[in-house]
Amino acid sequence: MTSPDTSLPTPPLWERQRRRLPATIVVYAVLLFGAVITLAPFAFSLMTALKTPSQFASTSPLSWPAPPTGENFSGLFGAHGFVSPVAVTAQVVAVVLIGQLFFSILAAFAFARLEFVGRDVLFWIYLATMMVPQVVTVIPLYVMFTEIGLRNTFWALILPFLFGSPYAVFLLREYFRAIPEDLVAAARIDGASTWQILWLIIVPLSRPIIATLAVITVVTHWNNFMWPLIITTGPDWQVITVATAALQGQYNANWTLVMAATTTAMAPLLILFAIFQRTVVNSISLTGFK
Amino acid sequence: MNRPRRRPGSPSRSRDAPAAWLLLAPSLAGVTAFLVLPILVVIWLSLNRWDLLAPMKFVGLSNWTDVLTTPAFGHSLLVTVCFVLMVIPLQTALGLLMALLLGRGLPGSALFRVIYVIPWVCAPLALGVVWKWIFAPYGGAMNALLGTDIEWLTSPSLVLPVIAAVSIWSQVGYVTLFFVAGLAGIPPQILEAAALDGAGPWQTLWRVQLPLLGPTMFFVLVTGVISSFQAFDQIYALAPNGGPQGASDVIAARIYFQAFGGAFDLGRASVMAIVLFVVLIVVTVLQQRFFAKRVVYDLS
Repeated sequence: MTSPDTSLPTPPLWERQRRRLPATIVVYAVLLFGAVITLAPFAFSLMTALKTPSQFASTSPLSWPAPPTGENFSGLFGAHGFVSPVAVTAQVVAVVLIGQLFFSILAAFAFARLEFVGRDVLFWIYLATMMVPQVVTVIPLYVMFTEIGLRNTFWALILPFLFGSPYAVFLLREYFRAIPEDLVAAARIDGASTWQILWLIIVPLSRPIIATLAVITVVTHWNNFMWPLIITTGPDWQVITVATAALQGQYNANWTLVMAATTTAMAPLLILFAIFQRTVVNSISLTGFK
Repeated sequence: MNRPRRRPGSPSRSRDAPAAWLLLAPSLAGVTAFLVLPILVVIWLSLNRWDLLAPMKFVGLSNWTDVLTTPAFGHSLLVTVCFVLMVIPLQTALGLLMALLLGRGLPGSALFRVIYVIPWVCAPLALGVVWKWIFAPYGGAMNALLGTDIEWLTSPSLVLPVIAAVSIWSQVGYVTLFFVAGLAGIPPQILEAAALDGAGPWQTLWRVQLPLLGPTMFFVLVTGVISSFQAFDQIYALAPNGGPQGASDVIAARIYFQAFGGAFDLGRASVMAIVLFVVLIVVTVLQQRFFAKRVVYDLS
């Protein structure tokens, strides 16, 4: 079905824009609807966190806190001891971030730029381990850490992730391989050692993928739940997600306090996201296309 | 370890091997200790009965026959498949729709893109707790909004769709970003050519954009299916221990509660974990085959 219009010359620009106007309104309406659905749970939970329990009981869950109160947050960090989970989580993230970046860069460089017997087989094994689901490894890891007496310690929280992940090695290797061989060869002729080539040429040229990995590592480990839930008991090494789950279990109907906890668990990454949103958004796109 | 030179003519290559193994050592130790060894241990555990207190007892394949013949495990697999089938098609379609709308390049698109990614940044557990409040029968936001008093999370017929909806809500923005990047990778000349040939937007989508999105679609579906099969955090928050009448008894949660929910039945939990692993491998291979049959255009 060809409409007779197609044989006519292209209409002028203003005419095309006028015709597109209804479509544009529909597009904006859908985009806006998506944004409202995305943001509403955050807004409502924050509003609840800023109400006193009696305000919450007497008003609609959708109403504005009048007046807003910091009571839930002071109770959370005071009586409910939420300072420690925040501190523990921050330390875990910092240590894992440094370890994972450093050791993954070393391994990826070996895979990408050095020749040794068994390289391709070994890399294939790395790729295969990416398929192993976390829920498969947590049971044996729990047994292993219990047997060596590291259950419920800081070491247990960091060790499984400290030496890099196959995924990180994979992403870095792809990026390292794309760096022109000429640069490396020239540096070798100038007498640079392998170590110098890695840190003075390869790493500075790979900043985007390293930033990507940093984002993924921070998000993954701040939000990690299953492993800390299993390997820690009691308040000493509770991370923020486990503490939030425990609080919810204990004060099931005390939603103002529980929403203060979820807000606390999410706020640090939301603030980081607000600052680095361009890097984060580009990062996600980058991981899918290599 | 002296490795033979593969290419004696090239001096740089023969120097590589010791350095390479040195650089690889920490990562290799980590992968061996925390990924490869656990797989061997989980197989060993699946052949034993052990609650961490009494001595470990070798029982051969009895955990396997127990798990594979009890209906509870089959039920849990079925619930998981239902969950994946609710999440993946909707999440992919919504992600594609939002990406097509964002791809029109209207002013403000960048801001919307950022907003949609926000749930991806947040802990799934914390989001699960937030949604548990939203769906609380009394004092929850959803019933207040709708003026109803529905028991969202304790009704066996509602709980799984509700959890699926929460899962879709938290992942759509992430999926959208991949499609935005995939669509941006299609050369504009191809779309112009399609428009000149008289293709409408619908035809362009089905005949031009979707086939060219092959690699993106593969990535989105494989990672989506794998992560949905393992969904745990939000389910732990929303409907723990199988939910009402086991209606939300997805496999990852079943494994967790079998192993750590009080009984410490590590043997049977290990069997379930291995079965899940095998299922994931099979599903991934099937998806790979499906996409390999279709023409994938390399535009790079």
